[in-house]
Amino acid sequence: MINLKKWITTASVSLALSSLHGEQLDLEKDELKFGFIKLTDCAPIVIAKEKGFFEDEGLQVEVIAQPNWKQLLDNVINGELDGAHMLSGQPIAATIGFGTKAHIVTAYTLDLNGNGITVSNAIWEQMQENDPALDTDTPAHPIKADALAPIVEEMLEEGEKLQMGMVFPVSTHNYELRYWLAAAGIHPGFYTSEDKKGFTNAQVELSVTPPPQMPATLESGNISGYCVGEPWNQQAVAKGIGVPVTTNYDIWKNNPEKVFGVNAKWAKENPNTHIAVVKALIRAGKWLDETDEDGILVNREEAVRILSQPNYVGADFDVIKNSMTGYFYFQKTDKREMPDFNVFFKYHSTYPWYSDGVWFLTQMRRWGQITEPKPAEWYDEVAKEVYLPEVYLEAAKHLLEEGYISEEDIPWDTDGYKPATDEFIDGVLYDPKDPIGYLNSHKIGNKD
Amino acid sequence: MAYLELNNVSIGFGPPSNRTEVLKDINLSVEENEFVAVIGFSGSGKSTLMSLLAGLQKPDKGQVRLHGSVVENPGPRLGIMFQNYSLLPWLTVFGNIELAVRQVFPKFNKAQVKEHVERYVEMVSLTPALEKNPHELSGGMRQRVSLARTLAMQPEVLLLDEPLSALDALTRAVLQDEIIRIWEEDKRTVVMITNDVDEATLMADRIVPLTIGPEATLAEPFPVTMERPRDRANLNKNPEFMKLKNSVTRFMVGMNKESKDLKVDTSVKMPNIIPHDFTPPSRTSVKVK
Amino acid sequence: MAESTKDKIKYRILKTLDVSGFTAFDPVIRLIFGEEPQKQFAAIVKYLVIPAFFVLSCIWFWSWIGPRHKTKSGEVPTPDIVWESVQINDTIAEREKVKRSDFQLKGAEREAALEQVAREYEILSEEVKAAKALVAEKEAEKKAREEKLIAPLEAKYESLKSEYRDAAKARDAEIARISEEVSEGKLEASALIAAIRNDGIATDRERSELNSYKSRIDEIRSQKYKPLDQARKQYDSVADKQFFMKTRLEFLDDRNLYVKLDEAQSELNEYMAELSTAGSAKDALKIAKRAVRAEESVARLEGQEYASAVTIYHQTKRSIFTVFVGFFMAAFVAIPVGIMCGLNKIFMACMTPIISVFKPVSPVVWLLIFQIVVGAFFPDPENHALLNFLNNLPLISSLEINPALIFSACTVAMCAVWPALVNTALGVASIDQDHVNVARVLRLGFWSRLFKIVIPSALPLVFAGLRISLGVGWMVLIAAEALSSSDGLGKFVWDEYQNGSSLTFANIIMVCFVVGIIGFFLDRMMIILQRFVSFDGGGTSV
Repeated sequence: MINLKKWITTASVSLALSSLHGEQLDLEKDELKFGFIKLTDCAPIVIAKEKGFFEDEGLQVEVIAQPNWKQLLDNVINGELDGAHMLSGQPIAATIGFGTKAHIVTAYTLDLNGNGITVSNAIWEQMQENDPALDTDTPAHPIKADALAPIVEEMLEEGEKLQMGMVFPVSTHNYELRYWLAAAGIHPGFYTSEDKKGFTNAQVELSVTPPPQMPATLESGNISGYCVGEPWNQQAVAKGIGVPVTTNYDIWKNNPEKVFGVNAKWAKENPNTHIAVVKALIRAGKWLDETDEDGILVNREEAVRILSQPNYVGADFDVIKNSMTGYFYFQKTDKREMPDFNVFFKYHSTYPWYSDGVWFLTQMRRWGQITEPKPAEWYDEVAKEVYLPEVYLEAAKHLLEEGYISEEDIPWDTDGYKPATDEFIDGVLYDPKDPIGYLNSHKIGNKD
Repeated sequence: MAYLELNNVSIGFGPPSNRTEVLKDINLSVEENEFVAVIGFSGSGKSTLMSLLAGLQKPDKGQVRLHGSVVENPGPRLGIMFQNYSLLPWLTVFGNIELAVRQVFPKFNKAQVKEHVERYVEMVSLTPALEKNPHELSGGMRQRVSLARTLAMQPEVLLLDEPLSALDALTRAVLQDEIIRIWEEDKRTVVMITNDVDEATLMADRIVPLTIGPEATLAEPFPVTMERPRDRANLNKNPEFMKLKNSVTRFMVGMNKESKDLKVDTSVKMPNIIPHDFTPPSRTSVKVK
Repeated sequence: MAESTKDKIKYRILKTLDVSGFTAFDPVIRLIFGEEPQKQFAAIVKYLVIPAFFVLSCIWFWSWIGPRHKTKSGEVPTPDIVWESVQINDTIAEREKVKRSDFQLKGAEREAALEQVAREYEILSEEVKAAKALVAEKEAEKKAREEKLIAPLEAKYESLKSEYRDAAKARDAEIARISEEVSEGKLEASALIAAIRNDGIATDRERSELNSYKSRIDEIRSQKYKPLDQARKQYDSVADKQFFMKTRLEFLDDRNLYVKLDEAQSELNEYMAELSTAGSAKDALKIAKRAVRAEESVARLEGQEYASAVTIYHQTKRSIFTVFVGFFMAAFVAIPVGIMCGLNKIFMACMTPIISVFKPVSPVVWLLIFQIVVGAFFPDPENHALLNFLNNLPLISSLEINPALIFSACTVAMCAVWPALVNTALGVASIDQDHVNVARVLRLGFWSRLFKIVIPSALPLVFAGLRISLGVGWMVLIAAEALSSSDGLGKFVWDEYQNGSSLTFANIIMVCFVVGIIGFFLDRMMIILQRFVSFDGGGTSV
């Protein structure tokens, strides 16, 4: 390895050059276009490109910002994009035909957590009045929507409905915001076969706003709060227009957030390319979650530097830095450590869990996006149609051979179902193997 | 049989309910190589007459005949020179004439076209302005180009529609001489329309007055028997010229007066209405005797 | 003689100025040639100095009003901040260039560059540390200052809060007592109402008092501390540079094209060597397969190019290209249809309803329609023959023509077609009757009449229409690009808006100028063309 020698003599910079380049896969296609939305959780895709992980697999990748989730999905369906940063609910909804119908699959979960719920200053003040415990610079967390309930009722009495924003009908944000409201007894509304906006029986109306427009929409008073990913909550703090009251970490600890979605047809036609892409993404995820001995995330600052470039997320370095390096500002005076605010690799998070799919399906049923009751097996079947752990494991196997990851990074022997958990804001137990039981354990929402 | 003939030609405008007859029962025959001047007041339908001669308009009644055959369409045989030059402003002097030459003589090769064009430009003394655009030329020069273009088509009849009316007196004189010179060099039949008695008298073999429209028609012609070449400088001393000029002018002026007298008749006649007498009958008038 | 050549030059320059519409500079040229200096000076003052002064005062007004108009997204950027953002965008483009050249360096050159960059990186790393320390220091300073100002306010706030809480409690107790007495009939009901009303008034007063303190505290917190801002800025710029150097290091080393090629080649050689000494047929087959794959990857690497990030220059180029594609599409349709409309009254009558209905339709609607319609023609854009052909053409291959560009161009064409069409029809219909007579006398056929008489005579109006079309097209394009996220200035500005960074506002204003200036030049270009085809002599006479 002449190259390595040269390296040692010329530079003292700690850049690892792997001498363990494995053989490249037999790629069906080597020039790819991936889409993303300007949110920090697109990081694995951006990092895989910028750090040359795609190149290592022999892939020439172009990463293109998309204006909104709808267009992103359309571009994946029509072949303009080979793959994209997607909301977890998108491949599922597309596959079962809620919204645009198309078979979309995923073999890689991009991250966990990473969302926040922000309310406007006015609402926050009223919440503080309703619950004096909140009236400090550092209120105790988690903050439930209980203090919001009187405001909603008051508005209803005046014949108005509180308006809140979320990013897409099948986005995690929609389900999280609904979960948070419903946990405090506020009805966020049902979808029905006629009502595609989800306003039926609503006490609070949730409407779609693209993430980057959230702060502006909040500021203009069209909505009084929103649930969105970063940096748009921190942006509200930085601009002084709103207060993030809770994060989805508090709503459901370590919940799945975004996935890397591709068209099923594309996946069938380009199996090796798909594996190569997932390989690069796994490496990117691992790079993002790399820590030193003290458990400090070492690569995040560099990642932020990259993400703040205008062609990626483009927000200010300081704004993105907060959440990405493990901090979150709830108010200007309330900066908290949240090391797990964005999880890109830990906790076997990148594995495409069937149980994640089942949770999203239960939420779609709970809020009426799935109009008919379905048997428990159906949930399992759909999850298996959308999530492709076999591709993930194949990619991981290659990486293990090449020495990029270690044995314990990957859940080799799982059946794709995480154990049951009750780490939700309302403490309801979620057993992925019993979706019907889970649905019936909620007060608000459809029951089967 | 005459060379160019108008037989009972009438033309009018407008819908049948409100029709204006412009020209009515026009008869004119022009001999070969004759120079005829039609003289009339403005608005009397001179240009319409010219359009008819050139075949640009068709008469409602009667025919225009050239060599005895009816003129149905305009064409280069009847070379018309328009009142306002009608040069194509996007072409140079050469280009304007070349367009005509190429069209009329399709068999010419490039050199022949060039030679032909240059000959006619030379004829109107415009060689230095060959490559200029029309808007760079004075009115007189433009009219010469127009003349050269018309001549270059070598028409059998040259129709001049008030060719000089837009020009100042001096330029006009120069061009008059030029046209006569060219005509004398290269004899052909000419019909010229004008509103200038001097011009007509100076140039034409025959002067035909056009009566005042509507329903204008041609009056009895005045033959011009003065010998050519006519000397412009001494014309005013020529009694024949003076006499002719006076009689034409008198005829024209008289016609104008006549038409003014006529005009009174065209005014709306008021119906003969006598108002009712609404005054109450006075007592005195109902005295019973 | 010398005089006349000088004059010739002078008139040539003046003519150029006139044709291009820069007649304001006339007196300058005349002055240079020494023509009536006094008159020229007067003209310069009137038509150059005063307008320049006016523009400068506008800029001054802008820089004065900017910081005074506070928005939630920050201050309105002043001209110098906009200029800064121009420079930042230029730096981004410059850096992409450097990275590209790094990617393609080889041999000794690469090593020298690597060494150089590594050294710079070292130095920068030190600087970054220092800058970071400075930021921390300033942050502490700011905090200390704030604390000093806020502490008394906060103490007051807290004490007031507890005081008011007590007062509220007292009032509540009072109300409870009164209500009891009322229920017992000792007091009038109105007393209770009054008490409750008074309680409400008092609560409101107290709340507003507390809020005023709170907002004062917030005010102090949100006040900017200049040294900290500067330190942050300093740190950002150094860290940015350091990061750039780090990336360069990667591109000069293991991500360098030739390094990768060498590696792949040596791998291939290794396999070839192994192949010659392979023990069994099975081994040989395995190694041969690997060798073939290695060969393929060498071939692939050879064709690899640096994947550049999109810069503002690229976006500008692409926008200009798109607007011309749309413009020519519009002209291609508008001119023939316009001519037919002008020539044939029946055709005109057929077209009139279509023109009148579609002319006022918003570009946004067209965009959506074309997005769907054009999309259908490109089911598989990457393997579409037309797109592949266009993207392999020499000059425009870097523009990445895709369906998005095509439907943006279609939108431009759809909106730009009307002025050109209407003007062409008008130009043809209003042809001088004398010219028609000339054509009739010459017995010109249909085609020569069309090309020799009709079109030339309509040309000035056609070009006037095209000029409006291009202007409309340029305006429409920016909106279309923003909406369809087709690469170009529209997307740039939309992305910037979505980025919501501190430079966003400045970048948007920068694009405003870029779009304006390009629009100005496009218009000038059309004016010049229009003057060349106009035959009334307006443009060509000095």
